[in-house]
Formats: sequence, C-alpha cells, structure tokens
Amino acid sequence: MDKLIISNLSKSYTNGINALTEVSLEVPKGMFGLLGPNGAGKSTLMRTLATLQEPDKGSIFLGDIDLLHQKNEVRKILGYLPQEFGLYPKVSAQTLLNHLAVLKGITKRNERKEIVTSLLHKTNLYDVRKQYLGGFSGGMKQRFGIAQALLNNPKLLIVDEPTAGLDPAERNRFYNLLSEIGEKTIVILSTHIVGDVKELCTRMAIINQSRIVLSGNPIELIHNTEGRIYQKTIFKNELAAYKKEYRVINEKLFLGKPVIHILSDTNPANGFVPVKSDLEHVYFSQIKKNR
Amino acid sequence: MMWYELFKFELRYRAKRAETYVFFIFLFLFSVFGTDFIFQGVELGKVKQNAPLVIAKTMGAISGIFMIMASFIMGVPVLRDYRYQIESLIFINPIKKRDYLIGKFLGSMVVLLFVFSAILWGMSASEFMPWQEENLLLPYRFLSYLKPFVTIVLPIVFFGASLFFVSGSLSKKLLVVYTQGIILFVIFLLTKAIKNEHLQAILDPFSLTTLTAITKNWSVEQRNSLLVPFDGLVAENKLFWLALGVMALIIGYNKFHFSRKKKKNKSSKKPIEPKTLETSVNKVINIPIVKLQYNAQSQCIQLLEHTLFYIKSLLKETSFWAIVLCGMIIILVNSVNLGTSYGVDSYPATYFIVEELQETSIFFFVVILMFYSGELIWKEREAKLDLIFDSSPISNLIHLAGKFVALVCIYVILIVALIISGLLFQAYNGYYNFQFAVYFYGFFLEILPFLVLYTFIAFFFQVIFNRKLLGIIFVMVFFILNIASEFYGFQHSLYKFGGKALGTYSEMNGYGHFLVPYLWLKTYWLVFGIILLIVSSALIVRGTETSFLKRCKQLRSRFDKLSVRLLSALVVLFVSIGGFIFYNTNVLNEYWTINQEEEFRANYEKNLKQFEHIPQPKIVNTNLKLELYPETREYYLEGCYLLQNTQTEPLTEVHVQKLIASDVILKDVTFEGGAAKLDMYDRYNYSIYELKEPLQPGDSLKMNFIQTFTSAGFEDGNGSTKIVRNGTFFNNTDFPSLGYNRKYELKDEELRKNHGLPTRQNKASITDTRNLVNARSGSDSNGTTFEMIIGTSEDQTAVAPGALINSWKQNGRAYFQYEMDRKMINFYSILSARYAVEKQQWQATNAPLNEPVALEIYYHKGHEYNLDRMMKSMRQSLDYFSSNFSAYQYKHLRIMEYPRYAAFAQSLPGTISFSEALGFVFHIRDETDVDMAFYITAHEVAHQWWGMQVEAANVQGQHFILETLAQYSALMVLKKNFPDEKVQQFLKMQLEDYKLGKTKEKELEVPLYLVEGQDYIYYNKGAINMYALQEYIGEQNLNIALQHFIADWRSDGGRIKSCNKRYATSKDLLGYFRKVTPDSLQYVITDLFETTEPIDNYVDR
Repeated sequence: MDKLIISNLSKSYTNGINALTEVSLEVPKGMFGLLGPNGAGKSTLMRTLATLQEPDKGSIFLGDIDLLHQKNEVRKILGYLPQEFGLYPKVSAQTLLNHLAVLKGITKRNERKEIVTSLLHKTNLYDVRKQYLGGFSGGMKQRFGIAQALLNNPKLLIVDEPTAGLDPAERNRFYNLLSEIGEKTIVILSTHIVGDVKELCTRMAIINQSRIVLSGNPIELIHNTEGRIYQKTIFKNELAAYKKEYRVINEKLFLGKPVIHILSDTNPANGFVPVKSDLEHVYFSQIKKNR
Repeated sequence: MMWYELFKFELRYRAKRAETYVFFIFLFLFSVFGTDFIFQGVELGKVKQNAPLVIAKTMGAISGIFMIMASFIMGVPVLRDYRYQIESLIFINPIKKRDYLIGKFLGSMVVLLFVFSAILWGMSASEFMPWQEENLLLPYRFLSYLKPFVTIVLPIVFFGASLFFVSGSLSKKLLVVYTQGIILFVIFLLTKAIKNEHLQAILDPFSLTTLTAITKNWSVEQRNSLLVPFDGLVAENKLFWLALGVMALIIGYNKFHFSRKKKKNKSSKKPIEPKTLETSVNKVINIPIVKLQYNAQSQCIQLLEHTLFYIKSLLKETSFWAIVLCGMIIILVNSVNLGTSYGVDSYPATYFIVEELQETSIFFFVVILMFYSGELIWKEREAKLDLIFDSSPISNLIHLAGKFVALVCIYVILIVALIISGLLFQAYNGYYNFQFAVYFYGFFLEILPFLVLYTFIAFFFQVIFNRKLLGIIFVMVFFILNIASEFYGFQHSLYKFGGKALGTYSEMNGYGHFLVPYLWLKTYWLVFGIILLIVSSALIVRGTETSFLKRCKQLRSRFDKLSVRLLSALVVLFVSIGGFIFYNTNVLNEYWTINQEEEFRANYEKNLKQFEHIPQPKIVNTNLKLELYPETREYYLEGCYLLQNTQTEPLTEVHVQKLIASDVILKDVTFEGGAAKLDMYDRYNYSIYELKEPLQPGDSLKMNFIQTFTSAGFEDGNGSTKIVRNGTFFNNTDFPSLGYNRKYELKDEELRKNHGLPTRQNKASITDTRNLVNARSGSDSNGTTFEMIIGTSEDQTAVAPGALINSWKQNGRAYFQYEMDRKMINFYSILSARYAVEKQQWQATNAPLNEPVALEIYYHKGHEYNLDRMMKSMRQSLDYFSSNFSAYQYKHLRIMEYPRYAAFAQSLPGTISFSEALGFVFHIRDETDVDMAFYITAHEVAHQWWGMQVEAANVQGQHFILETLAQYSALMVLKKNFPDEKVQQFLKMQLEDYKLGKTKEKELEVPLYLVEGQDYIYYNKGAINMYALQEYIGEQNLNIALQHFIADWRSDGGRIKSCNKRYATSKDLLGYFRKVTPDSLQYVITDLFETTEPIDNYVDR
C-alpha cells in the first residue's frame, strides 16, 4: 500500500492567519492521529487532503497520485467525514446513501444495493433506513457519516473530529469500526482529544499554531518523556509562582485542588513526585512549549 | 427599552448588508425607467407621462412587481436567528416576545421603507432624464409623486410587510419568504376575474383597478391636473388592505412562540434509536468490494439517477404544488380571452386555450425558474452536505446537468398540469375537439425552449455570483435588459439571447414557414446554453474556495477531459450554426437594422417627394398571369398594364415603383413604342422610363413586366406572411405601381424631426384640390378592367376578383382564370389555400330578370360554425342595399378566409377577405351576444357600395363616406333582421369603444366630416350618429339621400363625378343629408357631423 506524503504544505487565509506552515508528513497505512488544539490548522489540513481546499504551496502525493492536481483521481479512493455536516431532512438514510453511492461511481444497481445494505448493517442503521434523516440523533448522524465515507472502499479515509458530540459508549463503538477499517486503509483522524489517539493510532502527529511540532509512534513519543514528568498538588494561589519556576505542562483539578504536571530533566524535589509518562504529557509539553 | 436595542441591532445589521443597497439601487433604476417601460405600448394619449394618475398607477404597478423584495426584507429577520441556530442563545435571554417582535418588525420596516423610497426618488428623477421630451411632460411637481407614494404605495407596503413578516416568522422557511411575494401577485391576477367592478376595485392590492374605476369618467384635463384623491373607493381599498395587515400582525403575534424548532412533520415520529453499534461489530459484516466506474455509460447512469433525485426533492416542495394548483385554477377562474372581439367569444379551440395558458402561466414558470434554480444550486450547501458531495468523484458537469435536467422536468410537470386544465376547460365548455398536437407545440416548442434557455442563464448567474439573492436579481435584470435592448436596436437573433418568438399558430397554416428558422435559432442558443452550463460547471464552488478569482484560477484544472472535448465540439457547433444562420438571414436575405430602415425611408422621401404630384398615366386594363408556388413560397408573375393618358398634356415619362423588398425582382419592363430607363433612383427601386414617343392625351400604351418573388433560406424573425403554404393572401400593392408612394415615408413625427423632415399630414385637407382627384394615395388608376390567370398547387383554390370563367389542371397544378366584365377599383387581393366552398345564389327581388349572383364562401375545413349566419347576412345585405341604394354591380360575391396573422375583414371588388380570427370561429350565443358574424359580413358587403361603387377623395372625411356609411348600412340590416334590443346592445358597445378611443386621443377630437385616421370616430361614433340621424329624419329619407349620392358620385359614370373629374368628399355627402332634412332639424346635421357636440345628447343611456 502506498504512503501519503505531504511536503512543505503552507496555507494562509486572506485575513492574514497562517493555517498551515511548511507542513510535511508521511502517513503509512493504518490509523494516523492528528492531534492539536482548536484552531491549530487541523481542519485546514484535512480539507486540503479531502481536495476541498487549495494550499498556497507544497505538494501531496498518495503513491503516484498528485493529490493537488489530480483531484478526481483522489476522490475516487477517498472517504471523507467532515467535522460538521448536515443531511437532507426529508430524505431517508437509504435513499441518501444510495444517492451518494451514485456520486462515487457505483453505478451498477445491484452492487450499490449490496454495499448500501451492508454499510447500513455495519453502522447499525439498517432498522432506521427508511426513516427521514431529519429525525436522526447526533450519534446516528455520525454513523451515517462514516457509512457514506466507506461507500467506495476508500484507500484514504479522512475523519475530522468524528467523536465530537458523541457519548463515551458511542465513541468506543465508533473507534472499533475505525480500527477495523484501519487494517487495510490509510485513516487520518483529527482530534483535539488525546484519548482518541492513544486508543487508536499507531502513528500520530501534533499540530500547533499551523506547524507540525512532533510526529512519530505514540509509544516512542511517550518513551521520550519517560521519567521527566513530575506531579504535585498545590493551592490555587501558588499556581502563578509555580508557573514561573517550572515548566508546567498541565494543570487540572483533583478534588477541587489544582494538580500540576511539570516537565523536568532532573528531579525537582520540592514535593513533586514522578509520574508515569502519558501521551497527554507529550501533547501538552508540545503545546505549552510553543505558547 | 429592550425593543429599542433589538431595533438598533436590526438596523445596524442591515446597514452592513450589501443586499439593502442592491435593492435600493435596483428599485431606483427601475423607477427611473419605470414610466417608459410600464407604459410601453399603452397609449397615454393626451395624458402626460407625469400626470398624477399615471404616476399613481406606475407606482402601484412597480410596488406590485417588487412586493417580492418586501418579502425578502420582511420575511427574514426572525428566520435568520433560526437559520444561524442562535435562537436558543437569544431566547434564553430575558427578552419579552413583545420586545423581540416589535424590534425586529420595526427595524426591518424602516429598512423596507428606505428601499421602497427608491420608487419615489427614482420616479421623480426620471423626469429630468435627457431622453424625456418636454412636450410629453407637465411642469415638475413633487407633490404629484409624494401623494401617491403615501396613499397608494405605503399602505400596501405596510400590508405586505406585515404579512411577510408574520409568515416568515411563523413558517421559518426561506422558500416561503421567496414565494409569498409572488402569491400576493397571483391574488392580484385573480381579482381580475371578479366581475363586480366595485368589489374588484376594493380587492386589488395594488389599486390599479381602483384607480381605473374612480377615474373612468375623468376628462383629459382632470387626468393631467388632479391629484389622486384619498377618499371613496381608494380609501376603502387602502383601509381594507391596511386592516388585513393589522390583522396579520395580531394573528402572528399570538401564534408566535419562542420555541426552539417548529414541530416535526407528523410523518417522522420519534426516531427509533436502533440497537447500538456493538451488536453489529460482534457479527462480522464484510463490506463488499465495489467496482467504481467512470466510463460514459456510468456517467449516463449518474446523470439519470441525479436527475431523478432532484426531481423527487423538488416534488416534495409544497410551494411547487401550490404553483401547479394556482396555474391550473387561474385558467378556470380567470375570464379567458378567447379571441374575443366585439364582445363575442370564439369557440375554445385549442390554439386559443394554449395562447391563454401561455400568457397566464409564464409568470409561474419564471418564478419556478428563478427560485428553484437558486434552490437547486444551493441545495447541498444549505443542507451543509456540500463537503461530502464535493469530495466525491462526481463530475461537476454531471452534477450541474442533473440539476438542470431535473428543473426542466419540473417545467414539464407543470406543463402537463396546464394542459390537463386546458382540456378540462374545453370539456367544461362542451368543446371536445381536443388537438393534442397543438397543445404539444404550444408548450414544448414555444414555452419550453424559452425556459430552458433562461435556466442556463439562471444557473450561470447563481454560479458566478455565488449568492442566491444576487443570482435571482441578476436573472431578473438580464431578463429585462434582454427585452429592453430591443428598443435600442439590438434585434438580430444571432446576438439577442434566445432569439425571437415563434410566429402565430394558425389552423389554416399551422406554424408554416416560421418553424424552420425558429428551430435553427433555438438550436443555436441551446448550444450556447450548454456551453454556458459547462463553463458554469467549471466555475462552480467545489470545496471551500468561494472567491471568484480563485475559482477562475482553478479553471484550467477544473476542466476534465469530458468537458474539454465537449466544449470544443460545442464551440465549433455554435459557430457553424451561427454561420449558417448568418448566411441565411444576412447573405441570402437582406437584413436591415432599424436605423438603416429609418435612414432609407427618410432618404426615399427626400429624394422622391418631388414626384408626388407629377402627371402620370392611369392603369385602365390589367392582365396578369401568376404562377404561385405555395410550398416553396414563390411566385412568377407576367403582367401587362394598359396605361392611358387622362391628362390634357402629352406625357413623356412613366415612373415605376417596385415593391421595396430584396426578394421581389422586377424585370423585363417594356413599353409599347420603347422607352429608356433612367436609373438614378434604383436605390429606391424607383425607375423613370422616358418614352421614345410622348403619350398623347387620350392615347394609351401597354406596359409589360415580369415580377418574381423567391424565398431563399430564411430571414431573421418570421418573415413575410403574405405568401404561405396554406392561406396566401396579398394584394396588388405588391405589384409595380406608378409614381411616388407615400407608404414608404416615415410616419413617426419624432423620427421625422430627427431626420429633418417636415410634419406629415395623415390625410390631405378637404380643400386640397390636388388630392381630390385621387381615391387612394398616389392612385395610379381611376378604375381598371381586369383579367387574371392564377396557377397554384393542385390541392389549392386561388381566388381573385371577377367571374371564374375557366379552371383546369395541368402539370400537377391547378389554374383559375378570372375576368371582370366592368371597371373596378385598382385594388384587389389574391388568395390561395386548400379551401372548402359553400355556394348559394341570390336573386335581386327588384330585378328578377337579372342573372343571379353567385354567393360563395371559401373557408378552411372545420370552420363551418357561422357559414349560415354569413350567408344569411350576404343575402339580407344584398337585398337591403340593392333595394334602398342601387343595384349590386357584380355577378359574384365571395368571402375568403385567410390565416389569423391579421384580424380584419376587407372588402375588395366582389370579394371579401375575412380573417380566420374573426367571425369564422365566433361562438355566438343568441341569447346574450350580438350576431357579429352577421354584422361584420353586412358591413363588408356594404363596402361593395361604399368603396366599390362610390369612391371617396383621399382627403379628410374619406372614412366618413367609406366606413361610417358602411356602419350605417350594416346597422340597418341588423335592425331589420334582429329585435331592437340587439341593436341597442350593439350601439352600447359602440359607445364604450368610442369613449375608450377618446381617452387615448392625442389631439383634439375632430368632427366626423373631417375625420382622418381615428377609427373610434368613423366606426364607433359614426355608427351612433348615423343611427341618431335616421331616427330624426327617418330611415327612408336617409336612404333616398344615399341613393342620390350614389347616382351622382359613383365612379363609373356618376352624374356629377363624370363632369367634375374628382371624387366625392364628406361635404358633398352632407349636402345630400341636408336636402332630405326639414329646416327645423338642420341643426342636427351640424351637431352630429360638423361639430364635436357631446355624443350623450343623442344616445339613450
């Protein structure tokens, strides 16, 4: 299977905001997590990969296919689940899925029927296939989204923040489905939730302020920060002081009191205790560093 | 003051929106041109363009047309909050419903008033535009604009605003906002069906009918000076609509709730949440491998599936079905004009129904076109499904074409619905001769191509502007510009989008020769449209790049192979068809722009006017051999005129004017004794022949000539309707004539001024002795004997004046030989068609020994409805006229039907040409209608006396003799054969027509005896006044006067005519009237004919 190679991709908007700066990535088959805070440029990158947006410069190749110039070739093997989308309210799931299958080039009626039925089963929408989409819940809508993305047996599947708005159980099921697909396909999953990547992805990249700041195998990345993370529970009014002194990469509340995590090559003592490194630490260390 | 905050917010928001200003500017510009545009073709007469009444009506009309803008503005403020899904943010705030609605309503209302004030500013600015002519205007008065704006426009704007605000807020659907303005307009159309004038005046939302009603009896001076009052009907009308507006607001206020979303359709019950994903993951479901196909076949399937999908989605729109219903109902409710003339309907023949349906439905079609094209283009983006669509490998072209075809199918569905309602209408009226082919052609040949072409434009604009509203507005602008550009000389179908309309359908001739050029042009524009669609498909937004420049930059990569190949093939096709059309219209045929034609006419007059009154010989014998080829629309004519010098001096020159038309060729003109041709006026097809030997007074010589008419290729537009495949009808003004021809002069005074020509008089003054010797302008004959042989297609019958002395078949053609045994006027027509003939004979009761007169009606098979009435009228008329005036002069009297390209009947020697549109298809209901088939026939038969026996001098009052006397004569036959109430009914119609004509009069009304071209005087007033005269002095006396008049002034040997060598005038006629009128009643003649006494004094009202 071919790799997706992104080289020196840059994009800035007319209002002067840089969305992507010299982004280069190699994405092999399997689940690839693109992690970054809101506004980092994730969706811009995803839309560019989905042939919906033009970069200012750079190139993207999927094997031999020049993604920026052979858009229709890419679209044939592309599955895309946008971050936000709507559905025709007065059309049934089956009808719309069938229609989208036509758009993707599945023109043999029986073939189309077969894949639509199996995807409806797969996403467990078969029972509601005749129901108008206007009545779908958030989870059902999202499942419909993934069903349509899989219509053409995509070689490149792009899912942009797919778990937003899903309850935890719904999210897990969604992951199962994705990881199954990831065995045969390049799946790029963008998210701002570290847990998503941790659970699913064999490779990942962190994007922050339009740049790729880190990429690699999650386990290796965690390994790099291993033994450098320390934790301490403090009082609220001390926070500022700690921030001055240490490289605080994360702060959260535990039983109402702030717990801070710091990154340090040496043991800072002072009541800090070492903790096991986690992907979250990797992520926050990158985000904070650049801030 | 919460509402005030919302009010301010609304204003600030609108102030930033481009739409607000686009609306304003558009309305302003439209208003500047409004008066000219709306009253294009409507005779204002002496009423000035800026008379308060005209301004009020124009304002009413403009606000009616643009109610849709009010809907755009008022329908959206609440809807907007829902669409951007911020309603929950707003509604959780402690805003009271009252504040929310008041703020939104008032804010939008202020914006609306701002936009609509453009009508006021625009219209009052139009007075100062450079193209306005001062003599058509009254002095500027701002109040003339302000008052109707306040009294006519504002109330309806308030009503519209209230209604639209409420319906937009309650329905929360954009499509409602788009269509409700139109629905109001439809209501307006429906009010036209109301028979009760008072009710109609009150119900008309835009007050047009109301204004017409209250000013019905206003004189021109009143129309020019009075401001439209705000009382009586107008006030009732306005208060009615204001009250409705208030009611709408109250209902809306009570119904509106701060709910998150309107209730779901009942069909979609609470969603069944299906089993969770888990179960399915446990079962292993393999996703089958599909084969993706991108070949031509699969693209066809994609197109088909796409089309079906969008058709289904449009069929789910309630608004569409509302339009279909309205379209079907309107023909059933509306008073249908079935070729109605003289208050008599025709049979509901299919072509009438089709024309009526076309007229009433075009509005609905245009609405569907403008709005649904926007809906379709924006469908994915409005549902936020665009990213999913755009990342699929569907080609833009197929995507767009699918939507296009779907919209076209929607038109077809509406068309089918209309046809069904047409059939129902016919069946309801007991008419079962359904002609499906005529329905088919009327809609699929005439309407559908027009819609298809404009749909291309609508799609293109939606793509280019990438804003739904802007797209819709620009389609409207384009539509208006395309029509308006015609008045500025942009006329050739090659560059005028869509080409011209198809010529009139006639039952005799079908679409005749119009069809071929029409189809070529539609094909040409269709190819252009497809090119436009392909370009649109390359420019359409796909993905998130919306800037037009960026889309243009991507253009090259956007064209996929299919598009490029298609595009180049189509461009080649477009250019080739264009070339072919150009070759036909401009090379094979001559194409004249309006300017060229004007220039030519002006120069004709400047160069040749000098010859207007030079002495010329007169045609005394005409001998013609015409080979007519209706199939190919050609003829070959060999002619011989015998010219006689009736002057007192020898003549050395003969001036021959050929018909000015490039497809008519005159050749081999020879004169007995020889002549030399001077060709300095060849440009005007005017040749001067210098005779070798002068023609002495009383002598005569033969002039031989050959004239041909050929149709090569086709012309731009519909070409001439004279020589057609079935129903040829033309007259001898197409043949060579002698001397200067006034008919080529420019007639419009404005144009004449521009070309430096003096004012043209319609008719010469009654004292102009030079014109007293002519019975027609530039008359080249004082009567001629006549012989003609016509050859035509074997299945046709050709008719000309004279007795048919022989007819035979030869070489697969039919020949007819006609001969007139006595002198007739040199004005005759030639007809040829596949005729059926109804024959009878008539014997004069007072001359039983005379040869009987052959009565014949040549008609189109299927038009038998009124033959009996016409036959009866011919007999009764001949009876009455021959016993009261003088003997009938010919041995035949024929009526010949001709296609409905014109709608008149015309009497020529022994023959009456009668339009298919008139009389033949009248559905006369004896209980309610006047038998107009009978009357018109009688009128035309009367012309065998007034026009054929007595000719009148070609000066003022000529039509008093010819037409008014024919009206009187026919009226007497009517009176003799029908009860008095029918006569009174007829006179009442005449009175109405007269009053209508008078309001349109541009000059002062002239007395009857000086009448020129004013048909409302010589027809309508003439009939009324002559009827009054015979009531005063007695029918018998009046007929005696006419008897003497004929005896003295008949063209062949009239007692006075022979010695005076001039034709009769209206003054002469009045002399005969006076002779039979007692002294005590002489004043009546003065009042009726010599002055313009108010007509009411003589008519029972």
